[in-house]
Amino acid sequence: MKKTQNIQKTTGQKLPSFGGGGGGSYSSGQIFALTSLRVLIGWHFLYEGLVKLYTPGWTAKEYLLGSVGPFSPLFKSIAKTESVLNVVDTLNEWGLVLIGLGLFLGLMSKPVKILGMLLLSLYYLAYPPFAGLGINVHVEGSYWIVNKNLIEMAALFVLYLFPSSQITGIDRFLIRNNDTPHKKAE
Amino acid sequence: MNKLLRRDFLKGMATIPFLGYFGFAFKDNITKELLSKKSKDYRETLKIGQLEAPDEKLLPPTGIDGKCIRVGLIGNGWRGERLLQSLGYVHPDFVKENTVNGSYNEKLRDFLTQEDLNVHITGICDVFSIHTQRGVEISANDFHPGGRKTGQKPAKVYASYRDMVTSDEIDAIIIATPDHTHVPMAVAAAKAGKHVYLEKPMAHSIEEAVELKNTIKATGVVFQLGHENRQQMSYKVARELYLKGVMGEVTMVQTYTNRNTRFGAWIRDDAFDHLQGNQNNIDWKEFLGNAPWHEFDLKRFFSWQRYSDYGTSVTGNDFSHTYDCINQVLSLGIPESVVALGGQHYYKTHGDMPDVLNAVFHYPERGLTMTYDCSLKNGIYRPSHILGSEASMDIDRAILLKKDDNSVRYKNTEIKTSDPLFYYKPNSGVDAVSSATARNYFNSGYGPTFIDGKVIDVTFLHIKEWIDAIRGQGKTSCNIDAGFEEAVTFNLANLAYVHKKPVRWDAKNEKAII
Repeated sequence: MKKTQNIQKTTGQKLPSFGGGGGGSYSSGQIFALTSLRVLIGWHFLYEGLVKLYTPGWTAKEYLLGSVGPFSPLFKSIAKTESVLNVVDTLNEWGLVLIGLGLFLGLMSKPVKILGMLLLSLYYLAYPPFAGLGINVHVEGSYWIVNKNLIEMAALFVLYLFPSSQITGIDRFLIRNNDTPHKKAE
Repeated sequence: MNKLLRRDFLKGMATIPFLGYFGFAFKDNITKELLSKKSKDYRETLKIGQLEAPDEKLLPPTGIDGKCIRVGLIGNGWRGERLLQSLGYVHPDFVKENTVNGSYNEKLRDFLTQEDLNVHITGICDVFSIHTQRGVEISANDFHPGGRKTGQKPAKVYASYRDMVTSDEIDAIIIATPDHTHVPMAVAAAKAGKHVYLEKPMAHSIEEAVELKNTIKATGVVFQLGHENRQQMSYKVARELYLKGVMGEVTMVQTYTNRNTRFGAWIRDDAFDHLQGNQNNIDWKEFLGNAPWHEFDLKRFFSWQRYSDYGTSVTGNDFSHTYDCINQVLSLGIPESVVALGGQHYYKTHGDMPDVLNAVFHYPERGLTMTYDCSLKNGIYRPSHILGSEASMDIDRAILLKKDDNSVRYKNTEIKTSDPLFYYKPNSGVDAVSSATARNYFNSGYGPTFIDGKVIDVTFLHIKEWIDAIRGQGKTSCNIDAGFEEAVTFNLANLAYVHKKPVRWDAKNEKAII
């Protein structure tokens, strides 16, 4: 344990710089926390994606048809066109799996997080927990404006700004060879 | 350097063991999860072919090319207004209530996107002048689905239904009045050649049910009884499941009414706009119709369901609904014998209706009994239960099927008897990231359903079916035969309750034997 800390001190964990801002270091506690969060969200995406892949004839058709709120006409129109629906189903299933794997492994972390936020925002907009839209039978618990999708989205945003994949992920090997790795990663 | 590289490598791979565990264990877990989900291939589980009911398509609109149908409404109470809404007519107040900051809310948008049935409301008849007036205002409100403008005159007011049925400005009549007036009105309308949509329950007595059945068959008018559950997809799917044998032998059916409010117990003197009623704006004689004479009484007028002179007890008020749902699934028909016990113990201020009642209906040829339990002093929710030798079904807007412990059909199905074998709810999908499998389900089944890719209110579908049938497209699903079975069945229970004796049905002579 002590040894690890020493190495950290000597090696230093560079913080990525954003918008030309300066760098810094994560403590080992911070790395542990950020990596855990990344793995947990990756787990969730991966499992949701695999469940859909393993379900015979899975489709988001009924989910989309039942959507509520200002964007529901868009979601409903997707569900009504067979060819579009097939594409959306495939993108959704594989999107979830690949985003899950990416987060889990810390591979292509940045684009994966952006895609993750995009998917979550679509789930959020399909059933927005706004007052007056009626009780959403798809969801357990009680939500008003804020629901778990929104929180997961915010968590991904935090991970986007405080990445850990260049330390505890495959991205470490992809980006490290460069002298200014994190600048390039932007 | 090597050491550093190794540490480097280990760090970069820090999360791999977790992925390893995930990869190792997920397949097992996913299998369990899928088994518990309805998305598991039901054909395999239930040993049946593809279900056909959910693929049913709606009839294309008949309104646009079809001739406009002129409809008269008798009884513009809350239910009458609801039926007018299905026909594409709402009160200006409804539009006002559902417009927020100049834009329409979901309720109003749903109304405007509902199919245009191309009907005109040309006649209104009600014995309460406030309701008559509202009906006229509704008919004159040129605000219809699809933005259609009719430029229509306000509907004509008929003081009596006798005048309406003979009018040549009316093709079809909707009856949403107290039960004791159903058959006299429907018979008069049919004899005058008018098509009839009659609210449930069909008849105040067995004799009346026989009379109406004979009249409808003799005149050939299009008849629909207002059991809108006929449009509910869950009952259509349940019927298909039953016919395909997933339940085995059905040996018992259990039905319920549970309510625990004065309103729920049909005490409605102060509900809706009823406080405005008085001797000057109510045509009491016309209300009484063929019922025994009684002095003017607001309680009798507004809480008529509780008086056997006008209403048909809890069995006609509520059991008739559930019975028709069950009849839709199992084609039970009329029982051979009925017993019923109960009494009026709690709401003693109004009428003679029991508030606690149990009835048993015996179907020897089917090898089953159906029970009805009613308490108006307990509001627990219970769906109907259909108990079979292979599986048990909870049925309402949703279907929950559980295998029997000693089932032969599902002997090798690896599902615990406490877990659902099959679960169906119209318009519910497997959720995306946001949720776990929700097992709770909608009550009743009298609200929206899911058909042909759309969420649609069942009352609208029921009215549409009637209008389409009048135009020669398709048939009504709650026809006079289904209505006759409903009316006889609950009236047998009422006779058993009143006489405190088992009552038998003489099918040949169409008479109750007490």
